[in-house]
Amino acid sequence: MDRLVRADWFGPLLVTLVAVIGMAAFSPSFLSPLNVQVLLLALCINGLIAFSQMIIIAIGQMNLSVGAIGGLAAISFAGLMEVWGVPAPLAAILAICIGLIGGVLNGFFIAWTGISAFVITLASLSIFKGINLGITRAQPFYGVPESVKAFGNTTFLGPLPWLLIPCAIVFVATWYLLNRLSLGRQILAVGGNEHASALSGISVPRTVIAAHAISGVLAALAGIALVARLQIGQPTIGDDWLILSFAAPVIGGAVLSGGHVSVTATLLGVAIVAIITQALVLFHIDPFLVQVVLGGLILWAVGVNRWREVRVQRSLKRS
Amino acid sequence: MSISKKIALAAAATMLLAGSAFASDTQVALVPGGPHPYFTAWEQAGKDAAKDFGLAAADYKVPPKWELSAQNELLESLLTQGYNAFLIFPGDPVGSVSTANELTSAGAPVIALAGCLKDPSPAAFCLGTDTGHSAYLGTKELLKAMGGKKRIAHFTGFLVDPNTQLRIDAVEKAAKEEGAEVVQVIADIDAPEPAEEKINAYLAAHAGEVDGIITTAWVPAVVASNALRKIGDKRIKMVGIDHDEVVLKAIKDGYVDGTMLQNPYGQGYIGSFAADKLRTGCKVKADAPFKSNALTTKFIDSGTVFVDAAQVDTYVTAMQGITKDLFANFEKTYLDCAQ
Amino acid sequence: MSIDSHSATPTPASPSGGRVSGNPRFYLTNEFGLICLIVVFGLIFALLAKNFFSPFNLFALGRVAAVNVMIGFAMMVVIVTGGLNLAVGAIGVCGAMFCGFLIQVLGLPWPLAILLGLALGAGLGFINGFAVVRSGLHSFIITLATMSIFFGAMVFLTRAESFRGLPPIFSAFGTARLFGFVSPLLIVAALVGVLLSIMYRYTVVGREMLAAGAKPEAAALSGVPVGRTIILCHMLSGSLAALTALLVMARNGAAIPSMAGQLGQDWLLPAFLGPVLGGTLLSGGRASPLGTFLGAILVTMLTNGLLLLRVGEFWVQACLGVLLLFAVLVDKARRSYLAHLKVA
Repeated sequence: MDRLVRADWFGPLLVTLVAVIGMAAFSPSFLSPLNVQVLLLALCINGLIAFSQMIIIAIGQMNLSVGAIGGLAAISFAGLMEVWGVPAPLAAILAICIGLIGGVLNGFFIAWTGISAFVITLASLSIFKGINLGITRAQPFYGVPESVKAFGNTTFLGPLPWLLIPCAIVFVATWYLLNRLSLGRQILAVGGNEHASALSGISVPRTVIAAHAISGVLAALAGIALVARLQIGQPTIGDDWLILSFAAPVIGGAVLSGGHVSVTATLLGVAIVAIITQALVLFHIDPFLVQVVLGGLILWAVGVNRWREVRVQRSLKRS
Repeated sequence: MSISKKIALAAAATMLLAGSAFASDTQVALVPGGPHPYFTAWEQAGKDAAKDFGLAAADYKVPPKWELSAQNELLESLLTQGYNAFLIFPGDPVGSVSTANELTSAGAPVIALAGCLKDPSPAAFCLGTDTGHSAYLGTKELLKAMGGKKRIAHFTGFLVDPNTQLRIDAVEKAAKEEGAEVVQVIADIDAPEPAEEKINAYLAAHAGEVDGIITTAWVPAVVASNALRKIGDKRIKMVGIDHDEVVLKAIKDGYVDGTMLQNPYGQGYIGSFAADKLRTGCKVKADAPFKSNALTTKFIDSGTVFVDAAQVDTYVTAMQGITKDLFANFEKTYLDCAQ
Repeated sequence: MSIDSHSATPTPASPSGGRVSGNPRFYLTNEFGLICLIVVFGLIFALLAKNFFSPFNLFALGRVAAVNVMIGFAMMVVIVTGGLNLAVGAIGVCGAMFCGFLIQVLGLPWPLAILLGLALGAGLGFINGFAVVRSGLHSFIITLATMSIFFGAMVFLTRAESFRGLPPIFSAFGTARLFGFVSPLLIVAALVGVLLSIMYRYTVVGREMLAAGAKPEAAALSGVPVGRTIILCHMLSGSLAALTALLVMARNGAAIPSMAGQLGQDWLLPAFLGPVLGGTLLSGGRASPLGTFLGAILVTMLTNGLLLLRVGEFWVQACLGVLLLFAVLVDKARRSYLAHLKVA
């Protein structure tokens, strides 16, 4: 039991459960199939966004260009299909490659120059977003094939959206990477103590580049999923990812200085944010007050998490 | 994009005869508040106007972001680059006044386009859609389509945009007149992701509690059209806004009942014409028949028209009609060019 | 630019710093690198873009830069503690809107309204600082939440209405030109920079802030009230944010809820650009008001020059990013080259 309470995902799970039960009690339509579908879609895409940042938080850095990479991949995906008629799977692979290249470039410049990731990704944020605007002139691509639209908007087994399948695979793969593979352990080791991990024979530059490459791919996947869901290649995709990408891992107990993240808890963090957003709409909250409530709820969520931590520490001291 | 070009070409063809081509050194800049599909028609409108009226230039210049400071920076830079007449969608109806003051004090006429500056301002006049009126008419059309049922939801744009409050009030007013109730206003969603999330969540939970949807901003109209198509609901009536392909297609397929078209091409074309005239000695008539709205007493309505499934294929003609009528009498009605 | 090199000590940029013999270390500082870059890009733009040095353009450039510099200062004073203040934009707008409300609705005299606006900024900063210190949570997550709360409360209370009934002195201040090309806003920003420099170098409070940021445990052992100092930094950040918003208010002639964008997010990029380029360590413990000032000037100048060169409005951002990366790399190369020379 004690171990359970101390796990990262315990606090967020508690909050999520309370929120789900509370919402379902007040508003029966919360658990309607359509609403479950909407929730799962939000969970999928926002989960990818949060993971993209989480990997970088794990090595103790920040990636401000998550949204810019995702946006560039999204408009490349839609643009390839509309302008050159590239078939959807190939376009998706090329878009993922763009995400990969973006991430590798970030990682390469950080590892090669030793300049803070914050600065490098701030610059690359401008570059990727600028290329996006230069290509699209801020106009969306509309020529998304029906198959892609259907993939983003249809369901199987009742309320389960098809998008859930690739996302679930990615989530499991990320968990496996961080908990079972040596690359994952290296990422966490570099995040925990860069100097010590270098001494123990880990190639820090290689690990940094690998982490950024994964982050780029995850961001690109989120961009592609959003194109399927929104049914258009919007140049503004990615503009408002930054806050969410940090909020979810942090609610999930990630340490911003690196070395400690939890895949499950991050996913629960995403769920909490999604439920909060829904609650505001479901309970007819004055649109002018929405922001206040959202901020308050984020504080409350992290407060609960923090309070649990402090209690665990105290009980440890006592014993 | 192809649609706005279609409008543009057709409108240009009808107006070629109107232009008198003599060279002028006027360089007009058409500056929207930020990138938005609504304004793309201005680009062609500026090009056509430059050709038809012999202007040195009438260029469409977009601030890369929706940000008052980005627009101010662009305007200052354009003035430095030698542009000498400005058609501006104010990034803020109040906050853009001081920049407009600087432009006019450098000798460049300023016309507020598509959105107005709040009086007192140096803008010669404001040429745009009467947003409140458009929302009002749209709601009336929606209630007509809904028949006896009376519960509507309203999806609209950013709360910091003052037009949003005008729209909320206008929808409320129209609903009250017909004895209908606005059960929900969802705002702050003129961006695709939050719009997608909030509109879908709302429809998922409350689709049974509303009979009609009015949208008064571009993105919510697109997202709501898609959402209705997704849940396959033709019981809920909807009136959208603007001419996005998604909305037009949803009208054709019967998921959306109609849309309130605005007239961005006419704004850019007539605005460029007027800016040149103002720079070369014309004055705004003291007794011009301006309308008033919440922001200014010097408002000219660039027109709005309701289009439903019957007219959706020929809506370009409907838009041309408004521009032609407005342009035919524009100089006579609003300008005083005794030189 | 030197956030990687923890050894970069704040070298006094004394007037003699220009001479090699006087102070060779000055060549290694960010400040010197930034001055070089500003001069180089100034020459390039002067050659390529006509009117770059026209009085109007210099005036406009200075005015935009002043706001960016001030936003950078508001963030810098918190970065010093190793924290962040994502709510700079939201606090700033709250302060300016409150000031506008006091003048227009309550009819208070403007100097008093300005003071109360700054006080509100400091108060909101206090809430941030208090929450950070008491909860032990990272300031990132606290200010992320308060950003939503402050901005949301402001929009709720004002119903997003602007306050326009300001005395003419505000817009006169915002549009005034000294010597034909200097904006008074820039002078305010420079003055604040000088005061901050003095504070960090010569006052106990300033040095305590740096100590609390560099090594909190060591500072606490040597008697620095770390918690109180961090709260103080957040209060300073809040009032600087409010002051910035008041300058924007003077420039626009009105207090507008959207002056810093949705949730005040538009201020975040300039808030980090200035301090980071100027060599403020994100991990805390070092502050360079001069560097922040120069960094913000450089970024503003690049934007302005690229616009004048008509690279196309949509490509400006991409070019800005490339130039930023280039600037960072060149500066890095320059310093490692000089360090190499010194060793040899």
